Amino acid sequence: MSDQENVPPAAPPAPAAPAAPSGPPSAPRPRSSGPGGGGDRGDRGDRGGRPPRDDRGGGGPGGGPGGPGGRKGKRQFFRKRKVCRFCVDKVDFIDYKKAEMLHQFVQDRGKILPRRMTGTCSRHQRWLCEAIKRARNIALLPFASEL
Amino acid sequence: MEERLYDLIFILRPATPEEEIAKLTHTLEQVISEHHGKIEKQENWGTKRLAYRVSKHREGIFIYLSLKSTDGEMVKELERRLKVAEPVIKYQTIRLDEEMKLQKKLVARREKKIARRPRRQAPPAAAAAAPTGEQPSATPAT
Repeated sequence: MSDQENVPPAAPPAPAAPAAPSGPPSAPRPRSSGPGGGGDRGDRGDRGGRPPRDDRGGGGPGGGPGGPGGRKGKRQFFRKRKVCRFCVDKVDFIDYKKAEMLHQFVQDRGKILPRRMTGTCSRHQRWLCEAIKRARNIALLPFASEL
Repeated sequence: MEERLYDLIFILRPATPEEEIAKLTHTLEQVISEHHGKIEKQENWGTKRLAYRVSKHREGIFIYLSLKSTDGEMVKELERRLKVAEPVIKYQTIRLDEEMKLQKKLVARREKKIARRPRRQAPPAAAAAAPTGEQPSATPAT
């Protein structure tokens, strides 16, 4: 039994050893995920997050845009990079009258969804916030929907 | 004062008869013309569900006006009228000209950018267009 017990502990060190060389690259990883995840604080969060990601892509086996694919094998928690939907559609003004569209950026109970959920850029989030508040005032969107 | 753009939305009780709506909009139009304003757009969205209860109503008739004016007093007067009007349960005026100005600026900037870009991208685009032009002609042949 003691031998068997010894074997499993022996196994983890083996994967841990290959992981050790990747230690330095893993160090910037949480830091880069910081601006992405906590990007709601600084509006330059996503911009600041990009350069380290490119660096890693160059150093890593994937390289460039293939980096995400290469990282997928290493790290399972990789999520698809969210893009601001308004930037894609090149929206310059968010209309508060389009309640249907604004509904997508609001929780069931009426809360405004944070940027980290929707991937909206800071500028569009600001506009969106304004539009949602206007729509709320004229009863197009709920302040807090009763259940 | 330069011209300003306003959005005015008001909600009427769902049981308001058509004539009363017409009467109310007529008085509003009078107020607007008195203050030398212009109605850019007028829409009746019909009966819509309200997101929350407003003076015990769950539905309401939405009327939307887009106005242009140089006189700020006009909005004041319109809001006073709406406040007094019995069938109106909610109203909101929003000044939009500054946002529209920003939008125009952004659109102009983007167009400028696009206009600048094709010069560099024109050769590859033409090259890309040529093969695609050949392909359809090749497929009917085969």
